[in-house]
Amino acid sequence: MNHLKPINKKAARIERATLREPQGRPEQGRGTTEDDVVALQRTGLPQAPHFPVGCSLVFSPGWEADRTGGTAGLCQPVERDLFDCHIGCYWPAQVPDQLNHAPDWTAKCAAAQKDWRKIDLIFP
Amino acid sequence: MSECKMLKQTFHTAVGFAAGLAFVVAAAPARAQTPAAPAANEGIPVQSDLVKAKCGSCHRSDDKGRMSRISYRRATPENWERTIKRMVTLNHATLEPADARNILKYLADHQGLAPEEDRPITFDAERRTIEYSYTADKDTSDTCSSCHSFARVLSERRTKEEWELLVAMHRGYYPLVDNQPMNGGQGFRRTRPMQTEPDADGRPPDNRHPMEKALEHLSKTLPLTTPEWSAWSASMQAPKLAGRWAIVGAQAGKGPIYGSVTVTADASAPDSFTTETKYTVARTGETVTRTSKALVYTGYQWRGRGTAGPGGPGGPGGNVTWREVMFVERDWTQMWGRWFTGAYDETGIDVKLTRVSTGTVVLGTSVASLKTGATGQAMRIFGANLPASPQPGDIGLGAGVTVSRVVSARPDEIAVDVNVASSAPIGPRDVSVGGSVKAAALVVYDKIDGLKVLPQAGMARVGGAVFPKQLQQFEVVAMNNGPDGKPDTADDLNLGIVTAKWSLEEYTATFGDDDIQFVGTLDANGLFTPSLDGPNPKRSGNRNNVGDVWVVAELASPDARQADRPLRARAQLLVTVPLYMAWFEDGSGK
Repeated sequence: MNHLKPINKKAARIERATLREPQGRPEQGRGTTEDDVVALQRTGLPQAPHFPVGCSLVFSPGWEADRTGGTAGLCQPVERDLFDCHIGCYWPAQVPDQLNHAPDWTAKCAAAQKDWRKIDLIFP
Repeated sequence: MSECKMLKQTFHTAVGFAAGLAFVVAAAPARAQTPAAPAANEGIPVQSDLVKAKCGSCHRSDDKGRMSRISYRRATPENWERTIKRMVTLNHATLEPADARNILKYLADHQGLAPEEDRPITFDAERRTIEYSYTADKDTSDTCSSCHSFARVLSERRTKEEWELLVAMHRGYYPLVDNQPMNGGQGFRRTRPMQTEPDADGRPPDNRHPMEKALEHLSKTLPLTTPEWSAWSASMQAPKLAGRWAIVGAQAGKGPIYGSVTVTADASAPDSFTTETKYTVARTGETVTRTSKALVYTGYQWRGRGTAGPGGPGGPGGNVTWREVMFVERDWTQMWGRWFTGAYDETGIDVKLTRVSTGTVVLGTSVASLKTGATGQAMRIFGANLPASPQPGDIGLGAGVTVSRVVSARPDEIAVDVNVASSAPIGPRDVSVGGSVKAAALVVYDKIDGLKVLPQAGMARVGGAVFPKQLQQFEVVAMNNGPDGKPDTADDLNLGIVTAKWSLEEYTATFGDDDIQFVGTLDANGLFTPSLDGPNPKRSGNRNNVGDVWVVAELASPDARQADRPLRARAQLLVTVPLYMAWFEDGSGK
């Protein structure tokens, strides 16, 4: 970054954020909370800490966590994408699939984002 | 999920094809299955008339009593249960609950896993939050654990033909797995271009599909016939577990528990037991009583269900069902595992039961640590068959720690006052009473150097409107740097849970992060309760009440000169979306 100069406001904000990297280990609470903007700027597979609950966290990105290990990159709200997952059997361990386990899952509810209270938890 | 959107659109074109495959799968059970053509001597004959009667219309027997599919597989009770459920929900099997239970018991007992095969994967049945990496073969790990825990694979032993049919079943039920971008961007089939160049070692490129590589690995590594199972299936006996057991456990947020369990054989069914448990939470003195019923599968897998009495864990009233999953050691003197409850099995106690005979047993102490220079420190020692009237000299606590007074004594608990010399060396201490020693029961320390919040990474799921909440309990322990005076080294001393001030802080994942306002609340005991599920119109983009936050614990500095600088530690908490499929529950508790 030493050889680059920000030429617009966003670049200046990024530089300010990166220059204020917290010193010390995060678990000790060192550094201020405004300092460590950690998600969406990293690439590659998630680093520790990991959240290994449930059936899967290693889909790309995970159901519970995005590739940075946070929630900022998840599809939100989840209801927006729920029926897409259902119809495409995309998350078969997390969302009922329409082919076999729950063909009528969406029968009571045309749009999950609106009528999400009408969809059921499925016990396969 | 958003990052996958484009890929998903591509795959939707495959749905029409998928529907066709589903028809084939659904139609298949209507026809009787002919026995596979296995290796001549493989396959476990089925001797249960019930299994033959209920499963035999599809699963035909051959002249050796081997039934198609069933005879060529071994599995844990959990995996057999999931299969039986699938036969009912997707393959139109009709089973009375009692028959299903008896079939499950027969199959788990006669075609189960040996203790040595099950030991590495007990965390799965115990529903623990751990990270497990299968390193023996990357292709197999990627292929299977993209959707489910790899322990589910390690819960199976199959013939080569059966592993092939298992892969075929997955491709039939979930047609997209062929091309779904799992780990490394491949699905069951290879989606990357063919390699033409030899690899770094000069070997020709391996262009097989990932599932073919996985099949080779699984057939070789997890075969039906193993020396472990041959030995265990021959030596397995009906477990005789009735009697008195001492229980030692640890519950997140509460700390150690000590007590006793009375196990009684239930004459109404083989391998079944009832239990009565009474234990004390060491730190608070709270007493909990529980009763349960349990069945032991395959001679060593304890699966129980019980309730705590009023005031017990699980909330007001305490009458919440807890499940018990334990591994019975081969000598029938120890069982260990986890008792748990919660919509996502997230609340639990790690337990270890030890058979009690007539001898004295020391289990532990009410305090995890003693400070040098303390006088008249009250402490209780928990155990079984403790002496009726011990003298201070009968209780050993190591260098510099002496019992000044025995306050009271019961067979399961001795209350004492102890003095700790200012010069007592810091470190772990054994506690001995009447010829029994509990190693490293507590530590002696001189000062608190820091705190640690556990777990370091927690997870909760929003719920309460339609879907259940997943809670997350945190605890904070005080740490001493140990004899070397340096933090984060092997000799650090854990001084036990302390009462600290809890708060949430923003974990700044994005600019203008506002998660802390929405995700939920943290109570004075470190228990995080997430907010409601569903889109929140008050959030930008109608986001759910999900987010990343720091969970912070603060304790007043022990050094009066640094009163303005409290000790502080934090852990990350991920508050995320619900699961819409409950693979591990039958819905009875919801």
